Amino acid sequence: MSRRLVASLVAIGVVSSLPLPLAAQVAAKTNGHRDLQGVWTNATITPMERPAMFDGKLTASDAEAAKYEKQNNDNLYGDKRSENAEQDRDHAYNALFFDRGTELARVDGVKRTSLIIDPPDGKIPAMTPDAKKQNAGRLQAIQQRFDRPQDRPLGERCLMGFGSTSGPPMLPVLYNNNYQIVQTPDTIMILVEMVHDVRYIHMDGRPHLPANVRQWMGDSIGHWEGDTLVVDTTNFTDKTRFRGSSENLHVIERFTRVDPGTILYKVTIDDPTTFTKPWTLEYPFLATRGPIFEYACHEGNYAMPDILGGARLAEKAAEGAKEKK
Amino acid sequence: MRLKLAFAVAGAGLILAAVPAWAHHAFAAEFDAKHPVHFEGEVTKVELINPHSWIHVDVKGTDGTVTNWMFEAGSPNVLLRRGFTKNTIPVGTKVIVDGYQSKDGSNRANGRDITLPNGQKLFIGATGTGAPDEGGDKKQ
Repeated sequence: MSRRLVASLVAIGVVSSLPLPLAAQVAAKTNGHRDLQGVWTNATITPMERPAMFDGKLTASDAEAAKYEKQNNDNLYGDKRSENAEQDRDHAYNALFFDRGTELARVDGVKRTSLIIDPPDGKIPAMTPDAKKQNAGRLQAIQQRFDRPQDRPLGERCLMGFGSTSGPPMLPVLYNNNYQIVQTPDTIMILVEMVHDVRYIHMDGRPHLPANVRQWMGDSIGHWEGDTLVVDTTNFTDKTRFRGSSENLHVIERFTRVDPGTILYKVTIDDPTTFTKPWTLEYPFLATRGPIFEYACHEGNYAMPDILGGARLAEKAAEGAKEKK
Repeated sequence: MRLKLAFAVAGAGLILAAVPAWAHHAFAAEFDAKHPVHFEGEVTKVELINPHSWIHVDVKGTDGTVTNWMFEAGSPNVLLRRGFTKNTIPVGTKVIVDGYQSKDGSNRANGRDITLPNGQKLFIGATGTGAPDEGGDKKQ
């Protein structure tokens, strides 16, 4: 069996060296515009915010990148051990799970040190004082509240992908960073592998929904500027809260198919309620093999009974301890 | 639910900031660090289901009784893309599993290590980085 496993891994290595598939090379124009259709991945180890070792530098030479990549890959995929039981338990999130690729993202052939390109320091802008107040305690609540499923994060409840996979913005996360884009003259659909989320981008010139209509992935309308698809999304709820954002979040995405195998994705996050200034990320979506797999998240979500059941057991134990006193 | 992934990278300034340490759920919420488990047993079922796959193992106790345990492994989508199928570890395969038991006291644990009889650990150290697949166009 182990031989078979190794063989399959070797086979993947061989396949890796083949050129792009015809489907990706064709990139036929649709209605006079660039064709974004296909299966794409935005997996990358380039972090959202710039690490200290790249201070002041948006790009890295291949040699600089190699150093970071080695460290990062050892951390993600290496055989990590810890004397501390809590850390060791968490190390079970290992190479069995992670699928972020092994390289920093390239834009125009050059490796990027952070997804954030603006502000130029590669960091998320400061939160407004009000937003800080609003967000205080949210993380603590997630770590401490186990009364009912509604206390748990949307990802854990299988309602949305964790880490803003569907977004917008559509961010790379630890695994399942795959997307399928389908275009018709009126609509562009993006199927997000994580939790099988589907985004609809309306291209028929309609305005945004009325302000009182709110959607978890917002309301997306798009238009073409040259060969770039520009998507404007508003009407969010206060449930998804991207990086602490409010329902006033406004996301502007730009998709440009810069070559047959690459869509350059540039996204601006504008939420004056939450952030002191807008910020922009840029990274590629690369053509990849299909198909997108189904993600029937509830099918095997044993984690939820484990988590809530564990909390009930802890409560009983605490009650028992009280009674003994 | 930020995971406490302990990035024990030596050397100040080399620390990897802001690795997006978010996952479907935090193991901290689901599994009990105070209850490590170590079993040798036989695979009875491989459930390639979302959000994470589960490997079922029959474990024989010292008194001869057999208990079925389930071990959590990666997203089936990722495993399938790497060529891991239900036949990769067929029913009957002997495995050694180390992990941490579920906090609800059920016979479930996370698969900290899944080791085959020849000593090979599943995926860990399987290639240079242990990451058998690359993101992006290299997959083609």
